Amino acid sequence: MRGELNSAPEAMALEVRGLSKSFGRKVVEGLDLTIHPGEFYALLGPNGVGKTTTLRMIAGLMRPDAGSIKVFGRDVLADPLGAKAIMAWLPDEPLLYDRLSPLEYLAFIAGLWRVDSTLAKTRAEELLETLGLWPYRNERCEGFSRGMKQKTVLAGALIHDPQLLLLDEPFTGLDAASAKLVKTILSRHADAGAAIILTTHILEVAERLATRIGILSGGALLAEGDLPALRALAGLTGGTLEDVFLHLTTA
Amino acid sequence: MMLSPPGFLWLLRHELRVLWRGSILVRTHKYVLLPALVVGVLFQGVALALGALMVKHPIPAEEMLLAANINLVFLFALMFSRAMTSSIDVIYGRGDADFLLASPIPPGRVLAVRMLGVAFSIAAPWLLLGGVLANALAAFGQYWALSIYPMLVAEALLVAALAFALVVLLLGRIGPQAARRVGHTLALAVGVGIFVLGQAPHFVVPQRLAAFWAAMLPGPNGGGLAFLFARGLLGQGAALAASLAFCLVGFAVVWVFLAVPFARGTITAAAFRPAGRAAAQGATFRKSAFAALFAKDLRLLARFPGVVTQVVYRSLTLVPVLMILSGKFHTVGGLVVAAPLLVFLAGQLALFFISVLAGSESVPMLIASAPVPAALPRRASIAASGYAALIILALPLLAVFARVPELLPPLLLGLSGVLLCNLCLGLRFPIPLMRAAFGKSQTGTLLGLILGIAVSTAWALAIWLLAAPQPWAWLG
Repeated sequence: MRGELNSAPEAMALEVRGLSKSFGRKVVEGLDLTIHPGEFYALLGPNGVGKTTTLRMIAGLMRPDAGSIKVFGRDVLADPLGAKAIMAWLPDEPLLYDRLSPLEYLAFIAGLWRVDSTLAKTRAEELLETLGLWPYRNERCEGFSRGMKQKTVLAGALIHDPQLLLLDEPFTGLDAASAKLVKTILSRHADAGAAIILTTHILEVAERLATRIGILSGGALLAEGDLPALRALAGLTGGTLEDVFLHLTTA
Repeated sequence: MMLSPPGFLWLLRHELRVLWRGSILVRTHKYVLLPALVVGVLFQGVALALGALMVKHPIPAEEMLLAANINLVFLFALMFSRAMTSSIDVIYGRGDADFLLASPIPPGRVLAVRMLGVAFSIAAPWLLLGGVLANALAAFGQYWALSIYPMLVAEALLVAALAFALVVLLLGRIGPQAARRVGHTLALAVGVGIFVLGQAPHFVVPQRLAAFWAAMLPGPNGGGLAFLFARGLLGQGAALAASLAFCLVGFAVVWVFLAVPFARGTITAAAFRPAGRAAAQGATFRKSAFAALFAKDLRLLARFPGVVTQVVYRSLTLVPVLMILSGKFHTVGGLVVAAPLLVFLAGQLALFFISVLAGSESVPMLIASAPVPAALPRRASIAASGYAALIILALPLLAVFARVPELLPPLLLGLSGVLLCNLCLGLRFPIPLMRAAFGKSQTGTLLGLILGIAVSTAWALAIWLLAAPQPWAWLG
């Protein structure tokens, strides 16, 4: 399905130019961002610098005041449905119907993204098995823990095999084993050619998973690159991503 | 001291504020308060006329006592079912019991305030309704009528305490979901019971009914303890004092016995996390966004808490319709009367179903992130709600087809019109159906209910005018 949907295989996975948004005050201001297919990009920044707003604009949920967004060559503003068809957005709060079971939820999501029914059923079973949700597939989600809900929505995000995954704090509520499992699944997805952009405050996750890291400040990119490049920008010779992040954002 | 944080009155003020903000009046559109005020003034006018009539033609004391007793029994039943669902809300549904119990406020105080909050919330509508008549009677010098205020509050306190006790017992034994179902079933039984009793003159021989009422009269000695509350309601000093004392003691006893388990947290949200409930069936995968939305909407409709009760309540209109169609009940308008009744019911069902879906759409951003046109979810909700309404109306429609086939064309016109109007209206102004969970905002407005009833009535009237050979004959 991914091959069919990808109309421009040579295109950047994500191309954001001059993106701006204000809610009385400027939240995102002239943001430029480029992500390649197969790349795992971590978007970091202190609270309130526009990470979630940026992801919502990319997901087509919010119209920017200025700028352009292209996902695999598709203009999010001109062709939102075409762009949404190859994206998945996972917000920090699990978007789940409490009175549906995981299997019903996945059938619903697969229908929304018009995934072939046989393929969707197979994928749903695989995902539920992999994420340890198979025994609960026919139970309503209302009694699920936060981590189980988070895994259910992750299965929903992956069922249509998106080319661009937008993940807003995806590890909230997950225990260590589940977090490791999710990291493995996401890495496999990126290895298969999908681009992933995630925001997180758990800097160890970004350090371990991301191929490139962007640090937002004041609604624009303050620094971008892999860890050695960020260290160089911060004027540090060593240290963790946390050291670099704190050095750059509190300087 | 009690008014400053975290004193009893301070906590009570907080509780009443939360209840007030969750109440139907505040949840509604701002402009609805004006018609509500007009309706209130009209009610007071009618009550004044009724009061004048009661003063001019006084009802014999025995009959007054019986009427007062019947009213108190009905109020008890109505308040009890409402108190049960309110108790589940404040203990479990609202989700802030743990939050308050984690604070250094004594748990007994939290419990007392919760029970008082439930009592006030169940007493308020009846105080407003009964108050207008009491005020009118007092205006004509019948000051005894003002005893309705303390009596209703006292009865509400007792009812709230008993409902709280039953809810705690049920929560411990069967969990919150089943306890809520018991509350809804009780409300349904009370509603249907009152409806059936109201229809008694149609199916009980008049002589037998008269004999029954005669046997229920209190007699010359005032009926003893069975009529104690009624005498209190009619302003007899000693009976009023005894009734108030009885209710207050009942409230205190329940409070004393519930404070301990409440303090232990056994009746709070944390103690009753819902266990995994099995879904009714497996999922069907379809490569269609509309089919997925439609199936999801039907599932959410079927799983809405209290849906059966609410549908049965609204469908009580079908009883007279089926009685008319089966020839068991004769009206001046004949069989044609079934058409406007069915149209009205269709409108009300449509408004209810679409409001359930509007209120159940807890994750609109999920659908917004999907590659579907913005109008598709709305269309699916309209289709699912219309489908559910038509399923319920299928049997009466078949009955109309069998008995009066010539009524079908105007009936189908009316059904299409009222369904379309109220489904679109309900999407914009859903009626408030459930109290919002702690930290969540409420969906629904009373304006939707008022407009929906107006639309249903207008369509019913239009179909009556269209279908009845002599629509105004009944006035003669």
